[in-house]
Amino acid sequence: MKFLDEFFNYIHALDFDKLARLFWYFLIFEFALHFVFDLLIVSLWRFVKRFRQDRIDYARQALFRSRPLVSIIVPGKNEGENIYQLVTSLREQSYTNFELIVIDDGSDDDTPTICRTLKKNGLIAMYLRCDVRGGKASAANLGLRYARGEYIVHLDADCSYDHDAIENILVPFFYDSDIGAVGGNVIVRNYQASVCTTLQAIEYYNTISIGRIARSELGIYRVISGAFGAFRRSALVAVGGWDIGPGLDGDVTVKIRKLGYKISFEPSAVCQTSAPKTFKALIKQRLRWDKSLVRFRMRKHRDVFYPNETFRWSNFISFVENVMYGFVFNIKWFVYLGDMAFNFTSTLPFIILMNFLMYVFVNYFKFLFFSLLRDRKNAPVYYFLPYIILIVPYFNIFLRTVRLIAHFQEIVFKASYNDPWNPSKSSRYAREMKL
Amino acid sequence: METITNIQQQKEAHNDRIVFGHQVYGLVGAQMAFRVELLVGFDALIIDASDPDFTRLAIRKIRGHYNPELYLKPIFLINHRQVRDTLIDSLHDGILFSYDHLAEVSKKVDEMFMLSTQLDQHLPTNYEAQVFKKVLNFMFTRGRKVFTPLLDVNSVIGYSYPELSVNFERQEEAQVLDILDWAEKEGLIWPDFHERVYLCNNCSGGYLSYREVCPHCHSSNLASQDLVHHFPCAFIGPISEFKNPVDSTLSCPKCNKQLRHIGVDYDKPSVINKCNNCSSSFQDMFVKAKCMSCEQDTDVQYLVSRQINTYRFTKKGRTAAVNGFFSSSADTEDIFGTVPLETMRVMLHYAMERLKRIDGLRTNVSVLYIENMYELVHRMGTRSKKPLLTELVNIIHETISPQDFVSVETGMVFYMTLNDMSLSQAEKIVQGLDLKLEQALNKNFNGFKASIRTNTVALEPGIPVADQLQKLSQALYADR
Ligand SMILES: [Zn+2]
Ligand SMILES: [Zn+2]
Ligand SMILES: [Zn+2]
Repeated sequence: MKFLDEFFNYIHALDFDKLARLFWYFLIFEFALHFVFDLLIVSLWRFVKRFRQDRIDYARQALFRSRPLVSIIVPGKNEGENIYQLVTSLREQSYTNFELIVIDDGSDDDTPTICRTLKKNGLIAMYLRCDVRGGKASAANLGLRYARGEYIVHLDADCSYDHDAIENILVPFFYDSDIGAVGGNVIVRNYQASVCTTLQAIEYYNTISIGRIARSELGIYRVISGAFGAFRRSALVAVGGWDIGPGLDGDVTVKIRKLGYKISFEPSAVCQTSAPKTFKALIKQRLRWDKSLVRFRMRKHRDVFYPNETFRWSNFISFVENVMYGFVFNIKWFVYLGDMAFNFTSTLPFIILMNFLMYVFVNYFKFLFFSLLRDRKNAPVYYFLPYIILIVPYFNIFLRTVRLIAHFQEIVFKASYNDPWNPSKSSRYAREMKL
Repeated sequence: METITNIQQQKEAHNDRIVFGHQVYGLVGAQMAFRVELLVGFDALIIDASDPDFTRLAIRKIRGHYNPELYLKPIFLINHRQVRDTLIDSLHDGILFSYDHLAEVSKKVDEMFMLSTQLDQHLPTNYEAQVFKKVLNFMFTRGRKVFTPLLDVNSVIGYSYPELSVNFERQEEAQVLDILDWAEKEGLIWPDFHERVYLCNNCSGGYLSYREVCPHCHSSNLASQDLVHHFPCAFIGPISEFKNPVDSTLSCPKCNKQLRHIGVDYDKPSVINKCNNCSSSFQDMFVKAKCMSCEQDTDVQYLVSRQINTYRFTKKGRTAAVNGFFSSSADTEDIFGTVPLETMRVMLHYAMERLKRIDGLRTNVSVLYIENMYELVHRMGTRSKKPLLTELVNIIHETISPQDFVSVETGMVFYMTLNDMSLSQAEKIVQGLDLKLEQALNKNFNGFKASIRTNTVALEPGIPVADQLQKLSQALYADR
């Protein structure tokens, strides 16, 4: 009680200058750049969307009038069981003119038997098998090579899809002919499995998808999730398909952006994924994701920053935003922590508590506000309310630390080239060629 | 016949026969082979085997005949040239190097005759049993104990059991397997696995041409090539896309780099097939089997798989030639317009109860047996059996009154009830029916002479139905 009294007295005594000095990180990066900005853009999006509705309806009609063939490509290793689930869920799709191409990247279980049976029964159009694993990029490229559709939809075998997901992800192509690729909205299916998955569900819900809506509106959306993305085949072929990963999803998006295409995010094209159930698995996943920022933004595609003939402001801003949010702000956060720890050692508990309260408030507000805006929810809003408090340490300590480690590993050791995600035969080359 | 010059004195040569002691050997010439019935009177036959085609034809005609006096005849070959022919090799009784050897074979002829007198004379009443009994008779007189499948290019399934197969046309060979299955079920023979064959599901032919075909259009015009994965850029595609028109090097169509060392900068993780007909690409080809007999193209999974066994006689089988045998599967044929024999028994039982109670009621039961039905089925193939029986049942129904029942047992024996008439009236009706069926059969099947036996009894109250029926049918075979 005494602590709380002291805390309130301390806060009460702060004037604006002092407040700005003590909570500069929150005020500048979290409140102004994230919270207010996102809020503004998303509100604007909801507002404009109403006026777009006619054009969207028209685009949907155009899609069903021309009914282009869509090739759904699903690369993977040992995904037999998942493929069976996927095939059943795809049979429910409202858009039916698609061919399903499964690429078996060297499975060593009963995947070939399952897939051949499905193919015999006409549930898979094409089953392509490589006897030795070549990595996700080559598997996807093999699918692309034999796809006949005008549009390519890339799916993960372990995800499931709303019955109108394929339809909705195709509509933007008919809305704007400059759009070269569309990202689907990924939500967490197993949000009840553990605290870890619940927190990720909130993260996908609040940050990832809202962030993507905002970036898509600003024309700087850049990572089409591998779990659910649609591409114009011509665009994908023009960039030579996928290059070696990890992070190939972001990479291929950037390559398409460089050709001058727009990239769009479609919140109504919903895909449910299974998030990692344990923090250990989550760390592994995020280390991989975060390394790709360094590898692709700052290394492979650094020409985006150069004023050459392919220079585009949107790409430049997209990259700057990405590097700022993902890299610089993250470092700043640790700078802020150091600043507080060294310069305000005596009042550190108060500062931490105040930060915590502000973050909690912002997160609750964001969560409730965004809940009003979205149409598709995977769970009742109240389910998540008790967990919002945990989101604060999850974001600010857990994710930030993982990110810092990832960036450090990648900058210093180029660790992603050793990732077992790729077979070593490919990784070696990626490193040698400085990809 | 210039070959008959140095015959010893006890031999007497004629144009078409040789008399040796008490035996008369018939010489089977070209004209004889077409009228094999004329050969019945000889003790044994000699075929001039210088022409294998003629020999084969003559042996088929004789061994395939339904008359035991023909098919059991000892056959010897003279002027035999060593030509591999499964049928000829298995169905003659000896090779004569000259007529001087007659003394050696004459003992064998007598032995075979003695054995044939021991044979059970009854002809079983169903088709499979009739064919099998015939083969049993032949094998018994030759002391053969094993059915051995022989590789035979003349058989449509690739194998033949000569003793059995000779009774069937080349395209009917699969029926041989049916008969053997039946005999195995009857407990007459015992199988030992020999081989497995896959047969056309349309015509049971075994000559199939297997081809890998396109899963989409089933064309066999396919081209197969390696898939190449270029590691540095993750491009993967058919090797033709890596080739250039100038030299033999491979270069990547995505990144233009030259491929150098398999396993280091590229590998071949799989193959891809392209159909030149519909230009679709795929990895898994279909395998189809085209039947060389009926041209049907079948998915291999729908081919009929059959086991080719070596069969040995069981104890029952060993004695069946002499003791005869009763087929335990003497089933009622399921023909439209008939009732199962079991049902008829029950009905007769009730009819008998009524006879006991009501004076003046009369019920007769008749049996009608087409003795040489086997000959017809043999001629037309087993598949024609059912339509033929249906036709015969129709004729019977035209004759008897609507409330009477017909039952067909194992394809040869018809039972029918004849109610409310005296025995002599019933007998008259059955006689008429006999004539009608005979006429119908003889008219429809050129050269066939139907041999029909009938018997009619009045149902007697007090004696069990089964006993009365047995008496009824026993009378049919009694005078044989
Ligand atoms: Zn084809
Ligand atoms: Zn290449
Ligand atoms: Zn056939």
